[in-house]
Amino acid sequence: MLEILFPLGLASFLVAILLPLFASKLTNSKTPRQASLIFTFFACIAILAFALEIILSNKSFSLLAYQIVPSFQFSFLVDRLAAFFLALVAIVSVAVAIYSVSYVEHTEHDGRKNLIVSFMNIFIVSMLLVVASFSMFSFLFFWETMALSSFLLVMVEFEKKDTQKAGIFYFVMTHLSTLFLIFAFLFIYTVTKTFDMTQIRADPIINSVAFAFLFLGFAIKAGVIPLHKWLPYAHPASPSNISALMSGVMIKIAIYGLIRFLFLLPMQTWWGILILFAGAVSALIGVIYALKEHDIKKMLAYSSIENIGIILIGIGLYVVFSVAGIEAIALLALIGALFHTLNHAIFKSLLFMATGSVVNATGTRDIEGMGGLIKRMPTTGVLFLVGAVSISALPPFNGFVSELMIFQAFFQTTVLSNPFLEVLLIVALAMFAFTSALAAACFVKAFGISFLALPRSEKSKNAKESPKLMLIGPAVLAVLCIAFGIFSLQLFGVLGFSFPLPNMLFIGALLGGFYAFIYIALREVANRRERFAETWGCGFPTQTFKMEYSASGFSEPIVTILKSIFRTQKKSERYFYDDKNVIFKDGKAEIQLINFFEERIYLPVAAVIRKISLKVNNIQRGDADLHIAYAFVTIVVFLLIIWWFA
Amino acid sequence: MDYLSLIAYGILNTLFVLLISPLFISLIKIVKAHAQKRRGPPILQTYRNLTKLLKKETIYSTNSSWIMRATPLVNIAALLVASLFVPLLVIPQPNDLVGNIILFLYLLAMAKFFMALSGLDAGSTFGGMGSSREMAISALIEPVIIVVFAALAFAFKTINLPDMFRGALASNVLVDPILILISISIFIVIIVESARAPVDNPETHLELTMIHEAMILEQSGKNLAMMEMSSAMKQLLLMGVLINVLVPWGLTSDFTAPSILISFAAFTVKAIVLAVIIGLFESSCAKSRLFRLPGLFAVALFLSFITLIIEVFA
Amino acid sequence: MIIASVGNIAQILIVLILATAAVIIMKRDIRSLIKTYSFQSLLLALMALLYFVETGSLTLLFLAIIILVSKVVIIPRFMGVVQKRLNIKRDVKFHFLSPVTSLLASITIVLFVYLAFSSILSELNRFNSSLFLLGATVGMSIVFMGMIVVFTRKQTLTNIIGYLTMENGVVLFSLFLTELPLLIEVLIIVDLIMLTLIATILAFGIDSTIEEFHARLNPFHDSQKKASEEIKDLEAEQQ
Repeated sequence: MLEILFPLGLASFLVAILLPLFASKLTNSKTPRQASLIFTFFACIAILAFALEIILSNKSFSLLAYQIVPSFQFSFLVDRLAAFFLALVAIVSVAVAIYSVSYVEHTEHDGRKNLIVSFMNIFIVSMLLVVASFSMFSFLFFWETMALSSFLLVMVEFEKKDTQKAGIFYFVMTHLSTLFLIFAFLFIYTVTKTFDMTQIRADPIINSVAFAFLFLGFAIKAGVIPLHKWLPYAHPASPSNISALMSGVMIKIAIYGLIRFLFLLPMQTWWGILILFAGAVSALIGVIYALKEHDIKKMLAYSSIENIGIILIGIGLYVVFSVAGIEAIALLALIGALFHTLNHAIFKSLLFMATGSVVNATGTRDIEGMGGLIKRMPTTGVLFLVGAVSISALPPFNGFVSELMIFQAFFQTTVLSNPFLEVLLIVALAMFAFTSALAAACFVKAFGISFLALPRSEKSKNAKESPKLMLIGPAVLAVLCIAFGIFSLQLFGVLGFSFPLPNMLFIGALLGGFYAFIYIALREVANRRERFAETWGCGFPTQTFKMEYSASGFSEPIVTILKSIFRTQKKSERYFYDDKNVIFKDGKAEIQLINFFEERIYLPVAAVIRKISLKVNNIQRGDADLHIAYAFVTIVVFLLIIWWFA
Repeated sequence: MDYLSLIAYGILNTLFVLLISPLFISLIKIVKAHAQKRRGPPILQTYRNLTKLLKKETIYSTNSSWIMRATPLVNIAALLVASLFVPLLVIPQPNDLVGNIILFLYLLAMAKFFMALSGLDAGSTFGGMGSSREMAISALIEPVIIVVFAALAFAFKTINLPDMFRGALASNVLVDPILILISISIFIVIIVESARAPVDNPETHLELTMIHEAMILEQSGKNLAMMEMSSAMKQLLLMGVLINVLVPWGLTSDFTAPSILISFAAFTVKAIVLAVIIGLFESSCAKSRLFRLPGLFAVALFLSFITLIIEVFA
Repeated sequence: MIIASVGNIAQILIVLILATAAVIIMKRDIRSLIKTYSFQSLLLALMALLYFVETGSLTLLFLAIIILVSKVVIIPRFMGVVQKRLNIKRDVKFHFLSPVTSLLASITIVLFVYLAFSSILSELNRFNSSLFLLGATVGMSIVFMGMIVVFTRKQTLTNIIGYLTMENGVVLFSLFLTELPLLIEVLIIVDLIMLTLIATILAFGIDSTIEEFHARLNPFHDSQKKASEEIKDLEAEQQ
């Protein structure tokens, strides 16, 4: 069974990739795109069945596809960890495929719609093959394919200047990550003499160097502070279904790489501390920047950075406890991190898809132009609410369970024997708790300002609910959010883990039971009459949207309290007519938000690289005589070397 | 496992919380009034207020949506489930169904989330202001709460609230210094979570000083009754955590009538003392400016961190 | 049930002293700062009294009485008088570090002092109780926190409270470590220095920051310079 499903899925993807490209020559209708997405749907179902079988039966599947030379081969090995990530990609892709059937029709350029669908399929299949890879060569090959196809997808609307900047930034950063990975893989090759991903045994310093390069490479791709800057540009610039895939799935592939190589290398404690604090800092700064954003997709991008931070906190705990020998808590932390990976993929894709519907209906990405959408787009509102409640980690949804597992791992740090380590972990715990609460604040703002109260613009007033397929895609994920939360204990039981977690099914049943009970009791006991009236506006004759709270007003208390992190600069200049500064002429006041990372870190580094490359450019001036002179010098040097070594 | 005794415990605890919590709201009002040389309301006034609210009609704003209808029910449901987690009279047998301290915290957070959404729903400025300030304050107090809970978990070696109470009951030291320090931090958490001075003023409707009241400004009738009830329950549950961790005398594990009566009397006396302390503390300080609150919370965080460091190194 | 042992009460007192130091870092109102300082000294006196009850050493009794008299009563009263005379109410501006950042920094300071002491004291092998480690750590941390108060505040009165807090920290530290009679001498000398400083404020009438002190000491400097320049201009015009 296994041997059929995997190739079947891949073949289905191949059809899905080629169909829109070739059929567009024949017909201009949307049928080839829809057919292609149906093939995507079936391919993902096949891969999902394949992955579930491997997870449940604990077998593994290996395949040697093609061998160029003996060390460079496309070989695949799918064990439980890889199958988990395959299932993750498949679940999200199913929903995105359903959503894309209608969503793609709403982008402007016809020819590009076929390209979007085709490249989306290339993107999904390359992510699947990265996860399934056994040899580092095929890992890198599909990593590059994933990067290139996502770059082309980011640049779909390449006429806009913002998109161009976002695309180039993304391109450079992802190739930087590939560069670090190539370093790391070559380094590992010199130790293990093979490109297969097998256990690496070397002395600690070499392990640490390999780990450092790997961590840098995967951190850039996952969006860890301070290497995160490409994420808030790239994710909003792409169409919403692609953002869902990038934010929900692509950054998780980097997490997969990190965990896979942590399994292969013998771990050390300082790695765990590094991952833990990189995660804690990313989570905190990610959510703090998310609070200030008004562009809803940029806010979701920063929120992805925050959740990647939480996943890294879990992985860091795993490493620390694993090295200390306490396997039970290490397992709790690792499974918590993996579960949060799955949960975040589900609810972030859900949020991006719902946002795509909203952006489509209102024509703007700015929250300050939305409002009152819950009455005009009720189903999308419910879907966004499910996503917002899950990401704020409220029981009994899935986000809560994964954060609970990480909290429980933290609360058991007494078993460690090093008190300094324990206190460090408590500092990380405080940062994690702060992050969690700020995320809830952020999503109250996002949902509340966009969906509730009165519409703030004409287009929001006339917004219409999205077509059915754009609702079914996210709805699948919303149902999974609820199901993974409520049935979490049972899910872990089926997979063979027994953790001391509360039974969310019981809690969910209690919540629902009490809700129904109080509702019925009050229907009997209390007054049933209802009346509708306008909100009291302090005496103003009518209520307009200007009386509501705005998005910047909502986040103002937190932004002012944390203003040392936001580093706003206030400049004021005053001009006077006389030299005693008495008669006022003119004045100017400016509040500038310094993009700390961009101005202080990225741009100086880029400037230095530019200077060096300008100097190096002088060597290759295109002057034919100079090149012949180079060839002359090279041959003379070779002759000298031959004479020396003969 | 004896499911029957668990069900009996659930019913007993929930009913007790529902019946007793409004009492302490009026009690604190009476204490504050006496501090101002007034007489204050009669002690059963909150019950009369709630009954009156249930008899009134509910008015919904034309701008609001189903969130406004659902929020009071979600609040009450979340707090009823949370009341199962804090045994006030009888400690149930060790079970893994209820008691996880983090789940308790996040149930309270769920109630707060929906309350903040309902504040934004009616489209009034007061509601938005209340929601924004409430989310800011609850974000700032969250590290303090988690570090305090971590200190409790370290002290009692468990993350299950009933087990913590059982451990406190079984210890033979009358006053444990670590617990006194943790209690000071829990006291500050009670002040923040039940929206009392210096964080918020629970008796005003002036826009400069409202936080919690602003979010429930647009609720009326039975919805307002449910919101007031859930705040009273939250206050009582947090008071219960403080009392049963610090001075658990009288709390019992067996389910017999005489021990329940003793436990009831003991808890009521202790809770009255704590309510008087809260009232006096509230009367002794004025409401702080919003941007001075991080300083207060930093002192609470400092105290709980020091407690944790002492626990870790000792 | 064991009623709280001496060690337990000492632990509570030590942490309450640390809490008062945290409050001093955060508060801005000068009257309440003085009250907090006197409460801190009261706790210190109680601690000395506790150890007198336990060990019976008379020097501890003298220490307690001196602390009570000088730090709980005399110096706060004196400072209250100065504050009322000069009518300083609040010290609002913070220099370098905001109160929240100072508190977070104090947490790290306490941690590092704890680490340093636990590694040193395991070598010394004397006084091997955790209470002793706690007392020494808290004493040292209060010295650092007093230093933070000194360099983050601009008003002279709060600077003085910072120095006095540092002195309290040294007393706490020494309660657990050194020979006591020397301590009492040192204590009296520092108190005298503080009293002199406060008397200087009263005499000179510094009611604000050090810059204004300099300005008041050289009041005619600027106007003198301006006058001489104007004379030079006039002379140049005449020629």
